[in-house]
Amino acid sequence: MAGDRKRGGTGAVADALDGAWTAAMGLTEPPMRALQRAIGAARMPWAFLAPNLAFFGLFVFLPLLIDVWFSLTGGPRLFPSQRPYVGADQYRHLLACGNYLDPSTCDQDRFWRAVRNTAEFTLFQVGAIVVVSLATAIALNRRIVAKGFFRAVFFFPVLLSPVVVALVWKWILQRDGLLNAVLGAAGFGKTLFFVSPGWAMFWAIFVSVWAHMGFYTLILLAGLQAIPADLYEAAEMDRTPPWRAFARITLPLLAPSLLVVAVLALIKAVQIFDEVFVLTGGGPGSATLMVVQYIYETGFSGVVQDFGLAAAASVALGVALFGLTLAQLRLSRGKEGAT
Amino acid sequence: MASVSLGGIEKSYGDVAVIHGVDIEIADGEFVALVGPSGCGKSTLLRLIAGLEPITAGEMRIDGERVNEKGAAERGLAMVFQSYALYPHMSVRKNISFGLENQRLPREEIARRVARAASTLRLEDYLERKPRALSGGQRQRVAIGRAIVRDPKVLLFDEPLSNLDAELRVATRREIAALHAEIGGTMIYVTHDQVEAMTLADRIVVLRAGRVEQAGAPLELYNRPANLFVAGFIGSPKMNLLPAKAVAANAAATSLALGGDVLRDLPLAAPGIAAGADVVVGVRPEHVRIVAPGRGDFDGSIAFSERLGAGGFAYVDVEGAPQVTVQEDGQAIRPRGARVGLALAREGLHLFDPAGPALARSAAGA
Repeated sequence: MAGDRKRGGTGAVADALDGAWTAAMGLTEPPMRALQRAIGAARMPWAFLAPNLAFFGLFVFLPLLIDVWFSLTGGPRLFPSQRPYVGADQYRHLLACGNYLDPSTCDQDRFWRAVRNTAEFTLFQVGAIVVVSLATAIALNRRIVAKGFFRAVFFFPVLLSPVVVALVWKWILQRDGLLNAVLGAAGFGKTLFFVSPGWAMFWAIFVSVWAHMGFYTLILLAGLQAIPADLYEAAEMDRTPPWRAFARITLPLLAPSLLVVAVLALIKAVQIFDEVFVLTGGGPGSATLMVVQYIYETGFSGVVQDFGLAAAASVALGVALFGLTLAQLRLSRGKEGAT
Repeated sequence: MASVSLGGIEKSYGDVAVIHGVDIEIADGEFVALVGPSGCGKSTLLRLIAGLEPITAGEMRIDGERVNEKGAAERGLAMVFQSYALYPHMSVRKNISFGLENQRLPREEIARRVARAASTLRLEDYLERKPRALSGGQRQRVAIGRAIVRDPKVLLFDEPLSNLDAELRVATRREIAALHAEIGGTMIYVTHDQVEAMTLADRIVVLRAGRVEQAGAPLELYNRPANLFVAGFIGSPKMNLLPAKAVAANAAATSLALGGDVLRDLPLAAPGIAAGADVVVGVRPEHVRIVAPGRGDFDGSIAFSERLGAGGFAYVDVEGAPQVTVQEDGQAIRPRGARVGLALAREGLHLFDPAGPALARSAAGA
């Protein structure tokens, strides 16, 4: 009903746009007819796909192939043709490890530290995102004052650049930052958040949850609003206590949305880089070094720019992400089959 | 089962009042239908009874106990929703047992009650299915099963048949009537369909714009509508309502000018009416007969007619009056435009003030 009303209000504009669009499409007809005569109707889909394929190929597939080639070559040279083929040496170097649970026994100890950090970050960040977004979505779905205002407030950080977010929080958390000023005024001593490994990881997770939860809250809010209100009224007539209505009606009906949130947050968390890099620089030491930062430093910002090793690490990360995506697809299809 | 008493119930949303002081007494075991056109407040009234919305003013009692402050869960009522509101992720069995589990009844007791409800509603074969694997009629029965399984004090129905096709609606209507006969509980049934109300209810409450227009047994409403609104709302096709002018009236008879004709000495006792006053004559289609032109009370021409097999309806244009609907027996086909006379049965006349209230009625029906 709301949609109808909206359409009624902007009907004239929509009609005008429709007319203009139809006219513009009419202009494309003669060249398309000529093209179809030239190549035949069966090949027309390829003609329509070609522009997208060209862009996609140039900026995604080609770099992907170059990356794989780099990972199979060695030496410091930049141009692929000047790099000697070394087979799986880079991978052997990357994966060589005495004990995978102890990064210091590995050839590339920083890579394995980064893997462990990223796993820890992902576990807690995704967990926190699911819980915090769900709680926020439920709160925003109630009849509260200034609902629109609060929805905007929670979504706003999503619109900010990750670097801006990290810088703002850095000003708050640094030695002479806002938080320490407040703590100092309250009689506490200064805490050096970026010097303690535990605190650094905590704030890295906190800031990235703060920055991204608005997006996931929106998904869950849409999911909550798709649950018919009369189910809750029926549950009320059935004398269902609120917690049981949540556990037996809200959660099961929200499960598809929760799965989407968990999977999207997981895939993003594994690729985390900019916020944490700006906030902590990976420190103290390598306490918040993430896999993407390792790749960046190995390939571009180190004293020795090891393109081959960096490329091998990116391929490994790509394979891990591919596995996660496959698992997500299987999960969501399994879900459809089950319900 | 329980009695329900509404005293001066009012409901407003902000400044907008939607229920204006409704008084209804519903006896234990009674089947009451709330009918009225869209927006008359009948569903709102049902939600107030259910406790899904708070009452603005007035007092509601269930079995003599004031329940104004009690929420839906505490009132011990059950409701069948228009949309059925079945839990989509639960099997039929779970849907029916969910409320019982909330009451922490023993497992065997729950199983026994679910089995009984399922057999009453012929749902035994569907207990393990999910609601979306059921037809509309089956979903309807699950919704009813979920309501009756808790042995509620009062069973509330919110337009339960409106999502079913015509054939299924008639069948389900019969099932609800049978259910009431079998379990004999207090039931309050909201519908906009006066046929459902007529066929199911012990008593009908006609609502318009948040007020009770008339309450009474179905035939009482049919035979003695208290006002123009009820006269037009109850009965299908509608009662003919013809504007007229009083010519003379006394304690025994009334003479009226209708169109260009004067109907003398109708058996309508309306002594209060002044000569020349505007009135409305009401007569149901079964109380109008088609006769030869000039032989009836007034003449008209056939606009069109409908044959239903066992009988039919003729719609007659009358000069200076609204079209008149006539119920006829047999299968005679009336050619369009044919001149006919219309005779009003003297025992089936109603006289209304154009402002609404009934003024007089000739002695028909119960």
